[in-house]
Amino acid sequence: MAVQEYMVNLSVNRPRALTAVMVLVTVLFAAIAALPSLWPDSVSFLHPVTVDTDPENMLSHDEAVRIFHDRMKKEMSLHDMVVLGIVNEVDPDGVFNPESLRKIHELTEFAKTLRWPDENDPDKEAGVIEVDLIAPSTVDNIEPVGLGVVKFEWLMAAPPQTREESLEIRRKAERIPFLNGTVLSEDGKALCVYLPITSKDVSYQIYTRLKERIAGFDGDEQYFITGLPVAEDTFGVEMFKQMAISAPSAMAIIFLIMLFFFRKFVLVLSPMIVAMVSVILTMGLLVATGNTIHIMSSMIPIFIMPIAVLDAVHILSEFFDRYQETRDRKATLRAVMDTLFAPMLYTSLTTAVGFASLALTPIPPVQVFGLFVAFGVLCAWFWTVLFVPAFIMFISDKSLENFGHPPGDHHEEPKTILTAFLAWTGRLTFRRARTVVAITVLVAAAAVYGIFQIRINDNPTNWFHESHPIRVADKVLNEHFGGTYMAYLALESKPDVQEADAYAEALSKRIDERGAALAVDDVDGAKDVFEIFRAEALLLGRTASTKEELLEELEAFAEAKSASEEDLSFTWDEALLFVDEERGRGEVFKQPAILNYVAGLQEHLLETGVVGKANSLADIVKTVHRELLEGSDEAFRIPDSANAVAQCLFQFQSGHRPGDLWHFVTPDYTKTVIWAQLRSGDNSEMAAVAESLDRYIARNPPPSPLDHQWFGLTYINVVWQDKMVSGMLQAFLGSFLIVFLMMTIVYRSALWGFLSMIPLTVTIALIYGMIGFVGKDYDMPAAVLSSLSIGLAVDYAIHFLTRSRSLRNEHGSWAKAAGWVFGEPARAIARNVVVVGVGFLPLLLAPLVPYQTVGVFIAAILFTAGLASLLILPALIAILERWLFPEGAKMGLACKCGTVVFSGAALTALIAINVRQFVDVEWTTLTWPSLGIIVILAAACYFTRRMRKCTPGIGPVEGEIK
Amino acid sequence: MIRLKRYRLPLLGILLAGLACSGQLNAQEEGKEKVPSVKEIVNRTNEAAYYKGRDGRAKVKMTITDDQDRERTREFIILRRDAPPPEGWAGDGETNSFCEDQKFYVYFQRPADVNKMAYMVWKHVDDRPDDRWLYMPALDLVKRIAASDKRTSFVGSHFFYEDVSGRTITDDVHELVDTTENYYVLKNTPKKPDEVEFSHFKMWIHRTTFLAVKTEYYDKEGKKYREYQALDVKKIQGYHTVTKAVMRDLRTGGRTTLEYANIAYDLDLPDDIFTERYLRRAPTKYLK
Repeated sequence: MAVQEYMVNLSVNRPRALTAVMVLVTVLFAAIAALPSLWPDSVSFLHPVTVDTDPENMLSHDEAVRIFHDRMKKEMSLHDMVVLGIVNEVDPDGVFNPESLRKIHELTEFAKTLRWPDENDPDKEAGVIEVDLIAPSTVDNIEPVGLGVVKFEWLMAAPPQTREESLEIRRKAERIPFLNGTVLSEDGKALCVYLPITSKDVSYQIYTRLKERIAGFDGDEQYFITGLPVAEDTFGVEMFKQMAISAPSAMAIIFLIMLFFFRKFVLVLSPMIVAMVSVILTMGLLVATGNTIHIMSSMIPIFIMPIAVLDAVHILSEFFDRYQETRDRKATLRAVMDTLFAPMLYTSLTTAVGFASLALTPIPPVQVFGLFVAFGVLCAWFWTVLFVPAFIMFISDKSLENFGHPPGDHHEEPKTILTAFLAWTGRLTFRRARTVVAITVLVAAAAVYGIFQIRINDNPTNWFHESHPIRVADKVLNEHFGGTYMAYLALESKPDVQEADAYAEALSKRIDERGAALAVDDVDGAKDVFEIFRAEALLLGRTASTKEELLEELEAFAEAKSASEEDLSFTWDEALLFVDEERGRGEVFKQPAILNYVAGLQEHLLETGVVGKANSLADIVKTVHRELLEGSDEAFRIPDSANAVAQCLFQFQSGHRPGDLWHFVTPDYTKTVIWAQLRSGDNSEMAAVAESLDRYIARNPPPSPLDHQWFGLTYINVVWQDKMVSGMLQAFLGSFLIVFLMMTIVYRSALWGFLSMIPLTVTIALIYGMIGFVGKDYDMPAAVLSSLSIGLAVDYAIHFLTRSRSLRNEHGSWAKAAGWVFGEPARAIARNVVVVGVGFLPLLLAPLVPYQTVGVFIAAILFTAGLASLLILPALIAILERWLFPEGAKMGLACKCGTVVFSGAALTALIAINVRQFVDVEWTTLTWPSLGIIVILAAACYFTRRMRKCTPGIGPVEGEIK
Repeated sequence: MIRLKRYRLPLLGILLAGLACSGQLNAQEEGKEKVPSVKEIVNRTNEAAYYKGRDGRAKVKMTITDDQDRERTREFIILRRDAPPPEGWAGDGETNSFCEDQKFYVYFQRPADVNKMAYMVWKHVDDRPDDRWLYMPALDLVKRIAASDKRTSFVGSHFFYEDVSGRTITDDVHELVDTTENYYVLKNTPKKPDEVEFSHFKMWIHRTTFLAVKTEYYDKEGKKYREYQALDVKKIQGYHTVTKAVMRDLRTGGRTTLEYANIAYDLDLPDDIFTERYLRRAPTKYLK
């Protein structure tokens, strides 16, 4: 291969120049990424580092659910909230004692000051939104005080002085549904202050400032801060700390293990350098292209490092084993590269393809992640092939004197435990091939069962370790309260689209009725006035284009009449009132029947057991109604008329916080929101609530047509998880097929292609089977890692099979070749497993769970894939030797019908999967044309096979693969 | 466009109105030469805002607009009657003359679902809390309203109850912080800061009409968060009257505009219509 020779020559002959180029390129990339952040003004044409820790961005901005979420948040003036909980378990009255309430008051006042000018818009403020802050001192109490008197006041205008006053506050708050279970816990031990914030990315700052303030308090109170925005923003901050700790510590361990294997300090530096260079190039490119550093992309270095080290370990391992044979660096390197160049290229390509296939998922950060890891993998391959040999050239022969495996027939005389173990494995797989395969099948079957047990679930709070203050706060507060996870159920009345003339017909009937009713009440000239009014309405019905226009013109008509006909002006005022009533007909959420339905929905949400508390417009109306009617419990209901509802709400708005109403209903009363407080942020729980509600609504249709739709962070997480799971599955299938196709083409045989996919398949099955058995949630990191397993697991198979194939051809039979295969090649794989697998175990110590998951997974993938390659592949080769190494002449690829049909099927499936990512077609629609294509392919193959060039002995000879 | 124009006109209107009457009133002529005492400014301002004539009536259109420009309107008629003045009142601005008790009757017409609601206030200028009543026709209920303070929303708008009925002048310490060509600028600091949400408020008082043209409220951190502005002034029965005003909540971005029509003073409103009896059956005669 010309490229191979050129590259090897370059690295062994011109190591200095090569190294210089590499350093230069790396520095350049680093500079492009770093300069705009350090000196933004002088290099304004470049992109600075931008950080985005918002999991919401897992969905693209134009995703329907996000658009709806943003729109409803705006329409309802809802904001993300930081939840500050204060618990007093020591005092018999819980937090309702003067001292605790004084501190809560002080913290509330402090929280009000947590705002500062917005960086992006100096006219606006960022931080806590004072007017919407929910705390005992910022909400109203309403209650009857004596017969016929209703009182409005701040629930806690000032901190109480006595215990009696403190308990009085508890008594008052308990009567108000909005506060009970939301602001105060039912056991009275805890209080929550809700801090609405301008945007999620201020929550960490608010979290930190609150913690600082709380540190200055002493006493029996415990303080907890939680809420999804805090969890998400804090995760972002800690993630960067983790990046700074985890990646280098993994590197350090990898370095130490390599040192243990190769015992040459200088030599093992080279994989480290390659890994570093690859990471810098990739991250530099990421920043330079204006991509944000997101939760996903922050993991890029951690993914690139093991892969970057992988190839270098192969080179070093081979070099280590062979150097003493010749003691000539150049010659050894040429031999090593000759053996390894092809497998390294294929492994890197397959890995890159595995990751690049993530670009087809519908989740933007995952796309970026996939493409850049793929880039990093290719970088790593490029510099491994060039730089590692060049680096070895820098080391003098003298210092390599004692390096490497002593010469001799090492595979027969094992010196180390590793060598002995591998030799034993080789013999085992040969003698007990069928047993190995049978066990594999059994284990795989069990794994498949496990996969069906998998619970798909994620919860950003659970990204923290159980001992993390945020997790602790989450646990404690959700024990005391109805729940700290907010999800909102939006209900929207379907607009009643009516033509003006049809509307006028109905209108004229209602005018008639009103006129008659007023005439009964002896209103002056009611009959005549309403007759004129009715005629005008019908007339306008013909000319007006919309209902609104009709009402407007009708109003103008009545106004003119009211002004000109002085003695009848009172009656014309009744007509004007009628117009206004007509307009109010669309205000569905003032209708008692609808409000009772809303109350029913709310009731049902509580029955799910997940929603600990729900607040709605119905509660507000019921509460005001009760307090107006002397506070009697029977009066806690929706009054009988829409006017009565309106008058209750009128009262509600005469308090200190009239704007609170608009968090529950829009001013036109066509949309309302039920606040559901979930005790858990688990997506599975949220999804269960949503499903249960759908069923309820299907069984109990609303009195007038309503659309319902969830929003809020807790719900958004469910949506992106769904996309993630299905997207990842399809990306996985896609890359699986691509890798299979590549392998089939590389080995010119579908059978070899299948063989190379076996360790990967077994690994994936085992790992996800374990997840199912253990009961760990299939979450974001678990989903992403499936692509890493493709990349890593197929590597070992490629190395193993390529070497096995050439050694088998060299030695004539597998019986003779197996021993050789379990020498150097197996050792390289085993070393790889240990180096990289153990290297990532420090991630287990990370306080962030996704990093732990990644650590465990990488180790598990490597061990399983290594084991699968070293056990199953040799066993299968032993069994299938006859078919894998067919006797007689070799045929061209196009002549192998089986191979062609299988690759054709794989290709068709691949296209189908990818089409489905972008076009909304049913699987059944796709299946039939796909099957047709495969049949056509099979037929075509049948004919090509009959062609002359496929006759044995004449066709082109299969290329030798090393 | 129209809104913009209207916004600019009123200040000019106030000026012209001020000039027109300045020649007629000696006290004000003198006021131009020597700056009146703070007490006098405060008293005259209080008179100009809340005590014109013996009584009065206005039809009010209230437009509540939120930060998303969603509008809601309310229409009501407001009646006012002052308690008789003390003996020998001279109007010299040196006494507390314009601190009489007052009675208000508010009759709601729109939106239709609050039609015929009625609200009555007996405002007391001493330490007694105001007496307030509300009639809700749909519930056929008259309630007395007891409120801990007067800084609650007036019918869901950005005006407070206290903005409508008038803040008692003895609740604040007043300082004259600036005298410009046209305005006295008063800084008012509450005597009981714990009972209100502001740290102080500043008023721009027109020098000849003593109408507060602008009022700015500052929070406890010294940041302006609320702003009142008179948008239009008309001379009605010899009294300069604000006929359009806006209150802006700078924190939420919302605002409420009040437009007054059918303004009349000295109607000889009988005292007995300001009683509970008339809540259920509105005094239609005086509402027209």
